[in-house]
Amino acid sequence: MTNSMRLLLASCGTLALASAATADTVRIGITQNNVGIDSYQTTYERAFIEAAEANPNVDVIVLDAGGDVARQISQMQDLIQQNVDAIIIWPTDGQALVPAVRNAHREGIPVIVTNSNIAEAGMEFIAAFSGPNNIQQGIYSAEMMCEALDGEGQIVQITGMPGYTTAIERQQGFDDRLAELCPGVTQLDIQPGDWNRERAQRTMETFLTRFDQIDGVYSGDDNMGVGALNAAIAAGRAEGMVFIGATNFAVGYDAMARGEYWGSVYQSPVDDARAALQTALDVLAGEDVPKLNYFDTPKITQENMHEFDRPVF
Amino acid sequence: MAYFYQNPLLRWLMRNPIWGFVLIIFIFFSLSADHFFSERNLMNIVVQTSTIGLIALGMTLVMINGNIDLSVGATLALAAAFAVDVQSWAAFSTWGNWQILPAVCLALLVGILMGAINGFIVWKTGVDAFIVTLGAMLGIRGLVFVYTGEQSFYAMNFAYSDFSFMTIGPFPVLAVIFGIAVLAVHWLLSRTVHGRNTYAVGGNREAAVNAGIRVGPHMMINFMLIGFLAALSGVLLSTQMGAATPNLGRDYELWVITAVVLGGTKLTGGKGDIIGTLGGVLAIGILRNGMNLMQVPAFYVYVILGSILIAVLFLDKRFNRTADGGLRL
Amino acid sequence: MLLARLKAGGPAIAKQGILVAFIVFMITFSLMSDRFLSADNIMSVFRQSAIIGVMALGVTIVVIGGNLDLSVGSMLSFATVLVVDLHDKIGPELAIPVMVLATLCLGAINGFLIGILRLNSLIVTLGMLSAIQGLVLIYSGGQNVDIVDQTGTWFAIFGRGAMFGIATPIIIFLGLALVFHVIMTTMPFGRRVHAVGGNPTASIFSGIPRSRVVFMTYLISALCVAIAAIILGSRVMGSQNNVGLGYELQVLAAVILGGTSLLGGSGSILRTVLGVLMLAFIQNGLILMGQPYYTQWLVTWVVIIVAVWLDVAAKRGRLFSPIA
Repeated sequence: MTNSMRLLLASCGTLALASAATADTVRIGITQNNVGIDSYQTTYERAFIEAAEANPNVDVIVLDAGGDVARQISQMQDLIQQNVDAIIIWPTDGQALVPAVRNAHREGIPVIVTNSNIAEAGMEFIAAFSGPNNIQQGIYSAEMMCEALDGEGQIVQITGMPGYTTAIERQQGFDDRLAELCPGVTQLDIQPGDWNRERAQRTMETFLTRFDQIDGVYSGDDNMGVGALNAAIAAGRAEGMVFIGATNFAVGYDAMARGEYWGSVYQSPVDDARAALQTALDVLAGEDVPKLNYFDTPKITQENMHEFDRPVF
Repeated sequence: MAYFYQNPLLRWLMRNPIWGFVLIIFIFFSLSADHFFSERNLMNIVVQTSTIGLIALGMTLVMINGNIDLSVGATLALAAAFAVDVQSWAAFSTWGNWQILPAVCLALLVGILMGAINGFIVWKTGVDAFIVTLGAMLGIRGLVFVYTGEQSFYAMNFAYSDFSFMTIGPFPVLAVIFGIAVLAVHWLLSRTVHGRNTYAVGGNREAAVNAGIRVGPHMMINFMLIGFLAALSGVLLSTQMGAATPNLGRDYELWVITAVVLGGTKLTGGKGDIIGTLGGVLAIGILRNGMNLMQVPAFYVYVILGSILIAVLFLDKRFNRTADGGLRL
Repeated sequence: MLLARLKAGGPAIAKQGILVAFIVFMITFSLMSDRFLSADNIMSVFRQSAIIGVMALGVTIVVIGGNLDLSVGSMLSFATVLVVDLHDKIGPELAIPVMVLATLCLGAINGFLIGILRLNSLIVTLGMLSAIQGLVLIYSGGQNVDIVDQTGTWFAIFGRGAMFGIATPIIIFLGLALVFHVIMTTMPFGRRVHAVGGNPTASIFSGIPRSRVVFMTYLISALCVAIAAIILGSRVMGSQNNVGLGYELQVLAAVILGGTSLLGGSGSILRTVLGVLMLAFIQNGLILMGQPYYTQWLVTWVVIIVAVWLDVAAKRGRLFSPIA
């Protein structure tokens, strides 16, 4: 009890200092999806705060929805309540945040969507989107898979948390592109790994007992991809199996360096965070900002990996 | 000391320590968080609280009965999915804005049905409600995924999401609905035969049976009530989102139980009231809102909420010595 | 009909409701998928269930003592993140004991609040669930932790190794189950836990130190979580902060399926093992049959209620509850 009180008081002190800043600073509120669920989001948050601190004219309010749609809606209300100059949102769900975004828009607060886009119906209410193109990432992964298998083979897919936009978009991009580009590659099954390495490992173990021949594995991110790789190595079947992921994690990068992992999509949370803040500042400065601002997320494979730094997460 | 025991307000606070706590955090945040004490923010808190709050009203009834319901989060998601999806059924395509009506009715019925299933199983099998509803928590979530096919549904009709922004006089409509529900359940529990029976069944089941109360159907009605309230909460939440997502309401059962216990309702049954539960949900709502406004880092929020829960439980035990005996589920 | 049979020779079978259900499922699945009963698959299911299984052993003892433990999920996240993070910093020889001690401290907090202060176990462990999750995030700063040299460390034996051709996690799980079974059935401590859970008031009059016994059950639960974390960390060689999210409910479902009564006082370690395996085989069997993963939740719903119902029915000698 005393501890939590002290914490409250401490943060209260910080707030007092922050609000003492000069009057012509802009206040930007951000509500994130689920910090702490994986390193990407945590690194994003850190990079965002650093970028904001580096700019003396920016004052940020950083909130986290903990993956809960309802809590994110409350946080949107709380931010509107505080009359911030702009809101950056990393939607927990593309559809469900549309009314909350529309509400902010009505109150005259520009909304910038980051990382994972809002549904079509909400596009008219946002000032801009800044982030990776997740459908495009799925397409890249399908192209790499096709190339690695020479257009022939049987693969399995491990997706992210069911019901979450990023997971759905990557799967969609991958499925569509694969069917179009490589009709010779069949998908044996698709099961979720919940963005969780241990769960992906378990899912892969079941795939391995179920199918005698697996030529490739596509995972919704490298964290799960490495789990699948672990399972295949333990079963002695990793040799010749193609592992393709997305969102290159340090563990995926290292596995690629060892030659165990074929390729992934390079996506830096630092770029992501900086792009979001910059887009918000551009919007506030009255510049003509395009609606969709995709930052570059190139393919990374064993061949070209030396051109990239090892991911920090 | 004598004064301390005679002052009615203080004596009331001694019996309802949660309202003392609500008062303290209310004053604390008013003084230390810039935008906390304003009419709009207070209305925000009530709206934000209504989601958990509606379910907590039902949970109070079920827990006074000596039961528990862990499936409410899943029921909420199922009802929200129905409320949003049914609107777009071809059968109602010519109804205009009235297409919302059958959707909401069906969603509420689904909630009542889920509650009835739980209640019926508890009644007929005699299996502990904790186990029955733990199973239902998984199973109903499974139904949600089967029904939605893992996708989010969204309402084409903006009239649906506009509803949540409507106001009646100065009050948001969601707050008004919550207020009416609080009064209705309070009336049910304190002024009706059903309410008296609720305490009787939870306090001493044998005696209740001897007094001629049909315990099984009585418990089933309370499960249907909580199913209805969870569904209502799901419908109202989906109006705020204009959509329904399959993962909606995860962990809500834990927050609801937390709020109800903070409000002084005993897990053993037979004791508790709506005034306490209202204090419990407001305490959680104010803490969350206040910590957001003060930007307490998310990681610390978990620790603070967890510690406060245990601390209040400890204080409650100090004040209500008679409640010794601990958990007998 | 069924009622009459239950009253006659039935109770013996109905009491083993979980065993009957288990056999029925095994037969069904093996008919539906020819891979289900393969040695590979059975080994793989046993290995996968070891983590939940080890945790379920500890929780069984807590529940027999008349309490609940919902904090095991985030405690698992805590222990796994700690042991993996310390592995590269101070080496596995030190990381393991430090992690075990820290986890035992969390168990001791549970034990103190519930055993000594006599606070309600459901609410205390619910609060701890949240508090420990925060603690993990504060400790790691929200970053994933990884072991860099995955092939060179002897830490790998716990999750990836094998002895006599059997995977280590399986040996640890079944070995621990045997140890706890012996403790709970033959030793004074086991009798005390049963007594405290069955009738706390009577146990006080017969001179059993209730507070100390309850305290011990939470230490055992924490110890089991620590062991599960070693298996998990070694198996994955890394950890996320929420790795144990939701495990508390899977563990509790397994314990309940094993027929341990939430009222306390009765339950069996070996039947918990059966409960754990049953859940794991259901999950595995449905996926082998090509069903979407969420069908397992629907099946689990039915199985839990039917299994516990049969159990309860056998004890009272009639199928339907006497409640009017």
